[in-house]
Amino acid sequence: MCPPPLTYLDHAATTPVAPEVLQAMADVYASPAANASSLHRAGVAASYFIVRARYQVATALGTDTDRLTFTSGGTEANNLAIQGVALAGNRRSGHLVCSAIEHPSVLEPMRWLAGRGFDLTVLPVDGQGRVCPDDLAHSLRPDTVLVSIIHGNNELGVIQDLQALGEVCRGAGVPFHSDACQSFTKVALEPDRLPVDLLSINAHKIHGPQGVGALWHRQGQPLEPTLHGGGQEHRLRSGTLNTAGITGFGAAATLSSDATRATLLSRHRQMVEGIQGRLPQARINSPIQGGLPHILNVTFTGADGKKLFHQLNRAGFMISLGSACHATAATPSHVLTAIGKNAEEALSTVRISHGQDTSPEQISTFLDMLGALLAT
Amino acid sequence: MSKVSADIIDLTGVPCPQNTARAMFELELMDEGERLLLYIDDGEPRVNVPASLEIEGHRVIEAQRTPQGWSLLVERGEA
Repeated sequence: MCPPPLTYLDHAATTPVAPEVLQAMADVYASPAANASSLHRAGVAASYFIVRARYQVATALGTDTDRLTFTSGGTEANNLAIQGVALAGNRRSGHLVCSAIEHPSVLEPMRWLAGRGFDLTVLPVDGQGRVCPDDLAHSLRPDTVLVSIIHGNNELGVIQDLQALGEVCRGAGVPFHSDACQSFTKVALEPDRLPVDLLSINAHKIHGPQGVGALWHRQGQPLEPTLHGGGQEHRLRSGTLNTAGITGFGAAATLSSDATRATLLSRHRQMVEGIQGRLPQARINSPIQGGLPHILNVTFTGADGKKLFHQLNRAGFMISLGSACHATAATPSHVLTAIGKNAEEALSTVRISHGQDTSPEQISTFLDMLGALLAT
Repeated sequence: MSKVSADIIDLTGVPCPQNTARAMFELELMDEGERLLLYIDDGEPRVNVPASLEIEGHRVIEAQRTPQGWSLLVERGEA
């Protein structure tokens, strides 16, 4: 029996590497071997790949190349921002603030610091996952050293108002970090025009390779390195630069445009209309408008999310239960809990995330299969 | 990078070989024969940057001492 054709609807977990990215990386691997710190001509050539990629990523963010530090991904960028700011200047105590719907790569370093002399306030969110700027203002203390609030949430797709939240931080003189790994290139995002001080992005959510990310940081923002060694990346991130990965990141950063964003939005609309029109038991937890254009979080009342996941998987449709990072955990997602879903609702919830490579026909077939499975 | 104008870049404080790579990146955006003025640090960059740019086919027209290091006037080589 032929296996079913596969439809990948888990782009919030990772995206397929684009052919242009693969070619750019192949060009690096086909070049003479070199460390981008070496002084010989092959080293200069490797460094050139990095310079070009830095320019491409900076252009996608509308910023200056000097503001970017390449990392091994979003997790390291978040850790560098959080530990880097909290521990700057030999600080060993202070107050930290984040939201209840942060990615684990923000929550865990925050908790790690909280176990070592820092205080942590975790802000609640409303039923749609939004942080209220007044709640943030009330949480700040004279000893608050950092606020970190995710831009586009990886499970819900809700987008926080960085302008309003950042103004609160700016008014109190507190550095403001945002994890923008899901939103980078999906929505307009220019940190130089926002009251943010640090912003994390990565490659594999935008059709680039896994294992590459970057931290954007405002000029003059004190940061303590988390990796010590050869002093690469302005002494902020030691370690031999991942030339091919960074080159792929740069290539991926050039692929997004108004047209690709329109495609994502069009697929999103098709998915929303299909679910709302055909599946009365569905409760969409993501913003219908104004959220990330590639994520749809849906509770199918009365359904067993895990069973649905496996049935879809067998039929060739790849979605996610909660977020991919803790999809194997039996406990309900902390994000769904934060927006008020009880355990039963949370376990009836799935995340569907399409990409610009998803066709309308694939969405249509998926909706047919989903309807058939839920009717049984 | 600190770009003072269309054809002047300040690479002081940028370590080798990133300074050369940045200069190459700027030169590639120019037409053959166009000139780029670079500011670089004294020491290793004064040796490495012009040597590497010449290997890549660019021509160093002039090198002058500045209070911060050196300025190099470089002509873009064959495209």
